Amino acid sequence: MHFNWKIGGEAGFGIMTAGLVFSKIATRSGYHIFDYAEYPSLIRGGHNTYEVHVSDSPVTSSQWNINLLVCLNKETYDLHKHRLTEESMVMYDPDVFEITEKHDLLLIPFKTIQKEEKIQPNMLNTVAVAASVSIIGAELSIYKDIIKQQFAKKGEDVVNFNYKLADLGHAHATKHHKVQSILPKQSKVTEQIVIAGNESFSLASVSADCRHYASYPMTPASSVLTTLSAMQSTSKMVVRHPEDEISVVNAALGSSFAGVRSAVGTSGGGFALMVEALSYSGVAEIPLVVFLAMRSGPATGMPTWTEQGDLLFAVHGGHGEFPKIVLAPGDPVEMFELTQKAYDLADIYQTPVIVLSDKCLSESHISVATETFKKMVSEHVVDRGKIVSSTKQKNYLRYKSEEDGISEMLIPGQKGIFYQANSYEHLEDSHTTEDSEERIKQVNKRSLKQNTYFKNHFKPPQVYGDKTADIILVSYGSNKGPILDALNLHHIPVAYVHFTHVFPLDEEKIHELFKPFEGKRMILVENNSYGQFGQLLRMHTGINLEEKLLKFDGRPFWPEEIASYIGMKQTRNSNIEILNKPAHIEGESKMSPQEHLKQKKSLMDKLAKEMA
Amino acid sequence: MDNLGFDGYAPTWCPGCGDWGIRVGIKGALEQLKLDPSQVFISFDIGCSGNMNDFLNAYAMHGLHGRSIASAIGMKIGNHNMDTIVIGGDGGIYGEGGNHFLHACRGNHDMTVIVHDNMVYGLTTGQVAPTAKKGYKSRTTPKGIIEVSVNPLALAITQGATFVAQGFAGDARGLTEIIKQAVTHKGFSLVNILQPCVTFNKVNTYQYFLQKVYKLDESHDSTNIHAALERSMDVNEEKYPTGVLYKTERLAYHEQIDQLEEPLVSRAPNTSIDAFLAHFV
Repeated sequence: MHFNWKIGGEAGFGIMTAGLVFSKIATRSGYHIFDYAEYPSLIRGGHNTYEVHVSDSPVTSSQWNINLLVCLNKETYDLHKHRLTEESMVMYDPDVFEITEKHDLLLIPFKTIQKEEKIQPNMLNTVAVAASVSIIGAELSIYKDIIKQQFAKKGEDVVNFNYKLADLGHAHATKHHKVQSILPKQSKVTEQIVIAGNESFSLASVSADCRHYASYPMTPASSVLTTLSAMQSTSKMVVRHPEDEISVVNAALGSSFAGVRSAVGTSGGGFALMVEALSYSGVAEIPLVVFLAMRSGPATGMPTWTEQGDLLFAVHGGHGEFPKIVLAPGDPVEMFELTQKAYDLADIYQTPVIVLSDKCLSESHISVATETFKKMVSEHVVDRGKIVSSTKQKNYLRYKSEEDGISEMLIPGQKGIFYQANSYEHLEDSHTTEDSEERIKQVNKRSLKQNTYFKNHFKPPQVYGDKTADIILVSYGSNKGPILDALNLHHIPVAYVHFTHVFPLDEEKIHELFKPFEGKRMILVENNSYGQFGQLLRMHTGINLEEKLLKFDGRPFWPEEIASYIGMKQTRNSNIEILNKPAHIEGESKMSPQEHLKQKKSLMDKLAKEMA
Repeated sequence: MDNLGFDGYAPTWCPGCGDWGIRVGIKGALEQLKLDPSQVFISFDIGCSGNMNDFLNAYAMHGLHGRSIASAIGMKIGNHNMDTIVIGGDGGIYGEGGNHFLHACRGNHDMTVIVHDNMVYGLTTGQVAPTAKKGYKSRTTPKGIIEVSVNPLALAITQGATFVAQGFAGDARGLTEIIKQAVTHKGFSLVNILQPCVTFNKVNTYQYFLQKVYKLDESHDSTNIHAALERSMDVNEEKYPTGVLYKTERLAYHEQIDQLEEPLVSRAPNTSIDAFLAHFV
């Protein structure tokens, strides 16, 4: 069972709240969800949408075909009607606009309700959600429980008024339209949480004993800052919003030097301001976790849209040569695991570790059994490596040469000892040096960390799908979601190689893994126009993935796009261009953006019909 | 590295440099306060001043140019039981790091910021500093600097610093007294220290400062912000007051964070997320 609900309206209409509530109604009814919101970089007046893909089996991405479109304004219908079929339900107010095309229409007099109940437009979403719930056969009481939780603090009157709005929605929806049994409450409901990447990073940071999080607000990383801020009186973490990203990162290094697990979070522009300090972290061997949530760049770019455009920047950010680890989780569960691991790795290797996200992963929710998260917490043991609060060394050497490249790091405070975290090249005892031999010794010491990492902590990519398939998709990070859903969309066997430990890359282990794929059709899938991971893979392993499926319009992949691309090429029917065409790779596109969009729409229509 | 003295390596500063006197002043203050290097955090900026990293022992960071205050804020948050000192120059603190300086004043972070103010960049060989007088000629401003000078004392007073003082590198004993007060003051303390750069600044020499510096006497009320501001404006007439211009009481940054009852580094772990999970169901 797959059901796709989408709501749209003006910014300020409460679209985001309504969407998340719908996700929770579905999970509390025993279903799985993946949700996705689009909004412009405006506070009011822009068009906001939220869609929830519901299924009785786990889902990891959006679905093209919309089954119920809730239109709180005309724009919602106009902008999304190309994803509707004749069977799609459309909820709208005939007093606001007309629909002439054939759909399963669901008339709700939003305008009249607003007038009669004397309510703000941002309260109509309660009517809309209740109407949706009622018409698809879900239980209104589940929604009412959520209303109670939402408004309990505002008093009984507010709760009751919202109940009334919900009842109105229910009454109007069921008056002229038959109730369908699409989302009946399942007989067995396992408790699930509805969680997005940023929230998962936040929770994992608490569980990993991070005690200082500093960040300057920047979409799409900001919600980590607000989430952790809201938790701080319980979590006891110090959560700060300093004057700029440079202050953010240097303060985090300060607290990390003092012995406290510390992290920062930002997006590309803020990360650009932090890279000098990354280099300091590298040479002075100060642990640091950086949460980098990518958005469409360059510069201010498209702030509220997604892209994997900063992978190579993350990998290469920072002047000079120093070890760094970059992890790219593919969903909120991996985000939790890899964030816990990132804090350990930063301590163990005393170097910066970057956790890479993007707008889609950061803000899209999936449903996960609460138990899964509890288990990840209970099974995790904080590993601080060679960070100690007292040393037995008689003459303490902060940067002592060791075979694994890692020196003992004493938390400052032990009597009779002192040392510096020196950004200049230094001697083993941390004093500044420009001596040739000492320089070589320290460079080699730091570089050895990479070998130790390969030996102890690097994880080769996981292969999903049919490992013997003739078609192999290669990708990383949030593309995991649409790719996994794409594997289920047709019968051609396809394998997916999912990288999470994207830097540094262990050539030997990766060669071993790619050996069975030799001579087969391998396709690089990336949410950028340069194929950055492909470049990285080639640079470090010599593996060259020539066929590329790239998308860089600020939107995540649709599983249907991926499935269709594989299928079309399979049948050599390559005259239809569905994805963004990077000019530098395939020659300049002669299509105008309008033509491109038109063609894409017609193709997706066709797909939607096939898959309905 | 386990002797308990503050003396590190022998300094490499130019003979006659004001840094020598400043180091004596700092070391004297820390010794008289009965501190040892294991009890002090120092965040060194980059420049001749920051090069004191190897000449003065402490648990120290020698980080990035302009960012010493930002790092010190983190150090203090990590372990607020440690006395925290920033040592930097006019370029790092008022130029490259000017933004951090202004916001650290606002936050009243409990630290002492000691600025070597010689109106010129020494380590990069003689370029103009933000505290140089308008018209000062240097290798990067051959026709004279267009901007007027930063007024660090007025800036600190108006942006919320709770202890603002000025010293002179030629008066190490006076410096010791000021720095002792600054370190024991709870909150953000600025000690701006006038010093000659004997190699690159041929205008603001020892002779120049000896003529222009005057000591604040008992008639100055350091608790009066208006009086303090008035004295800080004397620089416009090339008169430099030394001593404590301004001192007031306000809760320090870390004292206003409930989580910092105990030092962050030594509190018990608190890694449960159970209290938060219900919110996501």
